[in-house]
Amino acid sequence: MSTFIKDFIEKEKINRRNFLFASAYGLGGVAAMGALGPGMARAALTDPTIAWSYRNRTNPYWNEIVSGGEAFVQSLGMSKDALTHLINEGSSEKSLADVKAILAKTGGNLALAIDTNDAPNARPVVEAVAEAGAYVSTLWNKTDDLHPWDFGDNYVSHMSWSDEGPAEQTARILLDAMGGKGGVVHLGGIASNNPAIERLNGLKNALKDYPDVELLAAEPADWDTQKANQVMSAFLTRYGDEITGVHCANDTIAYGVLEALRAEGIEDMPIVSYDGNPQAVQLVSERKILATVFTNPHWGGGITAALAYHAAIGTFKPSEEPNAHREFYGPTIMVQPDDALEFKANYLDSVPTYDWTDFWGPSNGPIVYK
Amino acid sequence: MGSRIRRETLVKWAPLLVLIVLCAFFAAMEPRFLSTRNFARILIAASPALMVAIGVTFVIIMGSIDLSMEGTVSVCAVAFAFCFLWLGGTLASWAWLALPVAMLVGAALGFINGLVHVKLRIPSFMASLAMGFVGTGLAMVMTGGDRIRIEDELFRSLLTERFLGFPLMVYVAGLFLLVAWFIQTRTTLGRNFYAVGGGEDLAIASGLNVNRVRVLGFTLAGVFFSVGALLAVGRIGIAETATGNNFMFLSITAVVVGGTALWGGLGGVWNTLVGVLIVFVIGNGMVVIGLPGYVQDGVLGILVILAVILSTDRKSISFVK
Repeated sequence: MSTFIKDFIEKEKINRRNFLFASAYGLGGVAAMGALGPGMARAALTDPTIAWSYRNRTNPYWNEIVSGGEAFVQSLGMSKDALTHLINEGSSEKSLADVKAILAKTGGNLALAIDTNDAPNARPVVEAVAEAGAYVSTLWNKTDDLHPWDFGDNYVSHMSWSDEGPAEQTARILLDAMGGKGGVVHLGGIASNNPAIERLNGLKNALKDYPDVELLAAEPADWDTQKANQVMSAFLTRYGDEITGVHCANDTIAYGVLEALRAEGIEDMPIVSYDGNPQAVQLVSERKILATVFTNPHWGGGITAALAYHAAIGTFKPSEEPNAHREFYGPTIMVQPDDALEFKANYLDSVPTYDWTDFWGPSNGPIVYK
Repeated sequence: MGSRIRRETLVKWAPLLVLIVLCAFFAAMEPRFLSTRNFARILIAASPALMVAIGVTFVIIMGSIDLSMEGTVSVCAVAFAFCFLWLGGTLASWAWLALPVAMLVGAALGFINGLVHVKLRIPSFMASLAMGFVGTGLAMVMTGGDRIRIEDELFRSLLTERFLGFPLMVYVAGLFLLVAWFIQTRTTLGRNFYAVGGGEDLAIASGLNVNRVRVLGFTLAGVFFSVGALLAVGRIGIAETATGNNFMFLSITAVVVGGTALWGGLGGVWNTLVGVLIVFVIGNGMVVIGLPGYVQDGVLGILVILAVILSTDRKSISFVK
């Protein structure tokens, strides 16, 4: 069994223990505050509306995110319908308008989790929330000059993912499987997408240590199985036997690559991918794919709502937290053949019950700007 | 008179000429382009799109347009996958019934599409686009966003079994191409498509039930979309909502590039075959000679315009809308 998952589970246990201590201490704190009289309980809201603002639910990734939000709301003893859904359908304007509408409706008694659809939209959203005295945590999109600590307590946190490091790790697994020599092709996402750029950079970083491996070509396959299938077929014409490994920007691309290879009767090509979809994890356990990376969107969606909610009701005071607790990377879990089945049982077949007050346990360090 | 004949001949054969020039160009840049294995790769990629493009060809010959292919392909693929797995999951059992069921689903969707267009008097452009969205949504509801894997070796032999260097799915596509050609040239329905597209007023005046022909045209298109869906599932081994992605752009481009006029009455299934091959030869050839991705889309757009200029006699049409 991989030590990676063992470490991960161990880390979670310790964090949970720490939380128990912390909450006992916190309760004491609340009691002390009560003794000092009602005048002290100023910033906290009581029973705020909890809302998640996101693109739409037909996308499997966002479906996972929001299911995490619902699990968090249920953990508070409410029905999952208690979570208010603000669906922006990919429009930043609608995203902002929805936020302003719900701020008006709730009079600022709101804990908001949001992906603002694009980075520039984060500032007006955060400003509107702060002005109304509500609390917001953001996911994925914000500009580099916008920071939670510039807004006191109301802008609670921001979580994002950096794919460059994990993509470099999968690349190393691939390059080792190739014996450190030969030719690799990369099939990428939509060329302008940030994750697509980061995942290709990960491969390029790893290649610096493998001088005998040539990057034959890198083509966008637009996150699409059928496009990936065609691009891989054309690669086979151009490079034929020179290709000894394939680096895919995500799982859906890997499916297309596998089928293009199957059509040619090639069964043992080393392939790595990204995202940790259930089908890909299954393929990893069968050693058809050597590695994929799981980013735990369920946890990400739940904890973003939990951070906003607990800051709102005063469980913790964001401005007293270090910066690393306000801008941080989301979790990444490397899935490899030896631990794939165990991973599948723990994370995919049954969704783990998370401790939604362990805000930073599974996270992955402070966000670094280049 | 002599020059006029030459112009007509040129227009008729222009798409084929474009295809040959493209092949010669890519072969000159990269000799491996001309290998049998590469042609097999191009044909594997092109087979599902050819079926979809043939379906829409009939509708375009009538002077209408059908944009429902993405939704219809997704629904047919997903319906096939559910039915196939439910009935046993291998072609050697009753699960083969999933094949005709998928085609019936395609026919039903096309039939509804035609009825919406004819009975509610909604332009085919809007009616079929809307039906396409309905289809995509329906496939989403059926799958809940999941992918369904079809692992049956017998069904997947469409891709894995080869005869004379080409997988079985290429021959299946060829067979349906001949069926389409038969419908186009040897049946009343096929000739009625041209009558409706060439001059609807005349067709009505001659006592033709134009509405009936239209509904049948859309139904037939639905059947061919479903065959495209089956081949797409055979190629990837996955049925999902995204199975239908990109088919709209590919098939409409292929039909137009092949020389079938969007105003109806001209062209046919052979034009569509050439058009589909042009689109996929470009897609394959540009990767094979190593053009970067962002150049590929631009080049494809320019080639579409060029092909339309070459393959239609612009002077013979009075207006462009």
